[in-house]
Amino acid sequence: MNPDAPSDSLIGIDIGSRSIELVELYPDGPSRRLKVPTTFDPLGQCRKLMDGVNGSRVIATGYGRKLFAENFRQVEVSTITEIQAYALGARFLHPEARTVLDIGGQDTKVISLSESGKVLKFEMNDRCAAGTGKFLEFMATALQVLLESFGDFALRSDRRIQISSMCTVFAESEATSLMARGERAENIAMGLHMAIVERTTAMLRRVGMTPPLVFAGGVAHNPCVVRLFEEKLGQFPIVPHDPDMVGALGAALYAGNGVFHRV
Amino acid sequence: MKPESLEQFEKTGDRFLLDMAELEESGTKVAGLYCLFAPVEIVRAAGAIPVSLCGKKEKPIAEAERILPPNLCPLIKSSYGYAATDTCPYFSASDFLVGETTCDGKKKMYEFLGQIKPLHLMHLPYTTSEPHALHFWYEELLRLGRFVEEHTGIKIDREQLRSQIRVHNRMRSLVRKISSFQAAERIPLSGLDMMTVMESKSFFVHPDRYIDLLEKFVSELETIAASGYSPFEPGAPRILLTGCPVGRGSEKVLRLIEECGGAVVCMENCTGVKGLDPVDEEEEDPFLALARRYLQLPCSCMASNTGRLALLDRLIGEYSADGVVDLTWQCCHTYNIESRIVGDRIETKHSMPFLHIETDYSNSDTEQLRTRIEAFLEVARWKQSTGPAAQSGVR
Amino acid sequence: MTHSYEDMWERLNLDLEAHAGLLEVLGKFYGNIYMSQQGRLRGMEYLDFVLSEVHGLRIKELQDAKARGGKIVGTFCVFVPEEIVLAAGGIQVGLCAGAEIGKGEAEKVLPRNTCALIKSFVGFKLARLCPYIESCDLIVGETTCDGKKKAYEIFSEHTPVYVMEIPQMKRPSDRELWKSEVLRFKTVVEEATGNTITAEGLREAIKLVNKRRRALQRLNRLRAADPAPISGRDALLINQISFYDDPARFTAKIEELCDELEARVGSGGSVAPEGTARLMLSGCPMAVPNWKLPYVVESSGAIIVGEESCIGARNTRDLVAENGADLDTMIDAIVDRYMMIDCACFTPNTERLDNIVSMARELKVKGVVHYGLSFCQPYAIEAYKVEKALRAASIPMLSIETDYGMEDVEQLKTRVEAFVEMIR
Repeated sequence: MNPDAPSDSLIGIDIGSRSIELVELYPDGPSRRLKVPTTFDPLGQCRKLMDGVNGSRVIATGYGRKLFAENFRQVEVSTITEIQAYALGARFLHPEARTVLDIGGQDTKVISLSESGKVLKFEMNDRCAAGTGKFLEFMATALQVLLESFGDFALRSDRRIQISSMCTVFAESEATSLMARGERAENIAMGLHMAIVERTTAMLRRVGMTPPLVFAGGVAHNPCVVRLFEEKLGQFPIVPHDPDMVGALGAALYAGNGVFHRV
Repeated sequence: MKPESLEQFEKTGDRFLLDMAELEESGTKVAGLYCLFAPVEIVRAAGAIPVSLCGKKEKPIAEAERILPPNLCPLIKSSYGYAATDTCPYFSASDFLVGETTCDGKKKMYEFLGQIKPLHLMHLPYTTSEPHALHFWYEELLRLGRFVEEHTGIKIDREQLRSQIRVHNRMRSLVRKISSFQAAERIPLSGLDMMTVMESKSFFVHPDRYIDLLEKFVSELETIAASGYSPFEPGAPRILLTGCPVGRGSEKVLRLIEECGGAVVCMENCTGVKGLDPVDEEEEDPFLALARRYLQLPCSCMASNTGRLALLDRLIGEYSADGVVDLTWQCCHTYNIESRIVGDRIETKHSMPFLHIETDYSNSDTEQLRTRIEAFLEVARWKQSTGPAAQSGVR
Repeated sequence: MTHSYEDMWERLNLDLEAHAGLLEVLGKFYGNIYMSQQGRLRGMEYLDFVLSEVHGLRIKELQDAKARGGKIVGTFCVFVPEEIVLAAGGIQVGLCAGAEIGKGEAEKVLPRNTCALIKSFVGFKLARLCPYIESCDLIVGETTCDGKKKAYEIFSEHTPVYVMEIPQMKRPSDRELWKSEVLRFKTVVEEATGNTITAEGLREAIKLVNKRRRALQRLNRLRAADPAPISGRDALLINQISFYDDPARFTAKIEELCDELEARVGSGGSVAPEGTARLMLSGCPMAVPNWKLPYVVESSGAIIVGEESCIGARNTRDLVAENGADLDTMIDAIVDRYMMIDCACFTPNTERLDNIVSMARELKVKGVVHYGLSFCQPYAIEAYKVEKALRAASIPMLSIETDYGMEDVEQLKTRVEAFVEMIR
């Protein structure tokens, strides 16, 4: 920590299964945003991020929030869930948002907000990775495509084929049998993207899906998923500038509200 | 060399709707049914026309899952989805519905279905061997009769009911006869075509016309049988398909078996021969005769369903089966659990290869299923050549 | 538990090595979830003791009773009328079904997508780890749900199961069917015990079971206090133990515990910090040692103040009328009481919705957590209707579906915490 800098900044940290994001908000002046991969040493990665911050009040969210709270005793840490964090962050960036979708590394969350921004209802995928970022990552590897370019790759398809299996393991065997039949890899990739959107749409329906929809989380970087949502829902999902920062931002904002959930 | 009248069986659904349109002015009511346990004789004796409702395609499932949990069998989700989206013409044509408490999923699904159309729920006793069962079921049949009477305004006349029993016995005996052509060494019809014929028995307005069609088909099959024609290669493994109902739209396992070179010679399921036993025409009380016969249906919802094992024993002999495929629709607990018991019977008593498949209506596992079925048929072929004393096959 | 029971376990043909492992895991699990709590009632010591002796002293008591000619009747469901068994001089116990035990064995004979409770009781039997099952003279199943109904066929390949038919509807004819089943059960119990049920015996049994229900009702009334004077985990444990313990002794101990609870409520004592969200559980039963969800909820800023479940209010809410003059009237009273059970196996079961809403209101909960065991279809389908009924009463509901495995605990915590944030 830098002792000379102002210490009244608000810090939000989102420790996810794939990456860790940190947002530091200053009362005046620009905010800072940092992101590192989670790796197998999430605490070590958190320490790196925390080295450069000035504030002493941190709100942690994401899977590692408890771990963080237990290990960073030198700062004042509170925790909130990703649901709350994404709702706050999305609402701050897009005050008109009524539904928030976050597809992260191992979770998909759908949050329905009231007009005033209160969480009305939420849904999460069950324990398996079906329909999450992990699924895309796994399948990109299976098709030997970089995750970052997987969406563009799928958009080069010339035929829409249906892949109905959402189980990572079965989808892979389905993809394999499609390849065995000579199907183009781009088309298989498109089928996999369609499967994710299909499954997520079912979750969106269950919470009621009031527009406008803000689409956050790492998978929102994927242009194919965004395009398919637009087709499926008949409306363009709002993708924030830094979609994977929304959780950390929401956490930092929570710190600012002065409502603390002590651990 | 397909029988000429096969096309008419393919069109029985359309025929049904046309015939119903003709009857529209007469105010004839249509009863939508979901299950073999609903005695069609009673429905007809009270002046209504029974029809099976859709539930064999994947399309409406997504809509159904807005209300129903995903962990339900595709048949239930499809049935509800069709009704909720009003995309089943037979559902639209139905004036009322008859459901039954066969399984948890259907029983609870009917709670939602009953909000769309008037629904009469029949309560099945599950411990059929206990003395209370027949009496309870008999009263359920009387209640069904009263329900239909209320909707049609037509009182059930016992003579009329007896006559319906005779007509349906005739119809069922013809369907049984048609199925039994497949018992011959040279199998005259593909299993897929036979399924179409079997399925048609739930879609007719005029029994006499339907019986004429069946009789015509019998004579066509006789000609084919005499000619020695078969759509199958000689030595194609003869497969008995058992388990959950199949029909057009949900025939993927049957299709795969035949694509892989097997011949489905008989279906021991609700679409097939399960419900074809005659009702006693001599019994003084026709309701009692119906209660006895319908309670014998060997459905897996029964607590200890020994009737199914006996039926399988009989069919394996009659149709000279080389192997048994047991199909369970995903999340159908009763057929799924019972499969262990059936498998044991097939392997120990008949030392015959047995394959249990649990799947849904989607095509996601087609290739995997193909591999399993091919391997299974290889075993069945090998057993054919080595005789029944050989080792039992794949599970 | 001491080693002195090993001979007994060996006589019961338990897998001793695996059983020792089970007890060790159970002990640790119990320590983490129960002994770590602050401000527990002194009366809970009795429950701690009973639980620590659940496979020991209690089994010894059953064995001693058997040596005196007593008969043990094992059940899986609250539909089996205990009054009948007690009136015939028998002892009724709930059988093991709450732990992920013998899962591999169970999945050899049952589909993987069978609910955890069913896999558990089959697993306990196949792995030879439940001394209750092995002590039974009569095991009673029932046709409540598809999974259980069919699993008894598999189970009975190892031990005979007597199956009661449970009606699925509540019309007069269904009551009649149920009455004939209760009478059939009476005959079977009389044969198994060798005792004929008399009016006097049945009257006493009805009173005894009602007394236990009243004690548990009192517990439920007291814990409804705000702030909550007892944790949901402890209350669940009490309900769970009620299926194993001697009814008279248990009732006396719970009345004592309730006296202590009453004093605590009078002085405004609580186990929950201020601001803890009051929640109610609703849905599938939680058999010993299935404490997973209560633990998750109570370590996520909430406390459970009621269980709408078979191991909870569903089993204690209704009493059998005690004014029956003769055997027939008493049987009718039993038939009527058990027909009031609002299990999801019934259709349309709308009374459950009313019961949930009124219970949630009486307990002044902030929300309801609906608990479904994965692949339990009756409760899964009802969850939609429950949520709708609660929404109409402006009570939020969180639907959780899970099994006995621990790998989703962190994810469940996130869900429950988010729910608590939402309703606060």
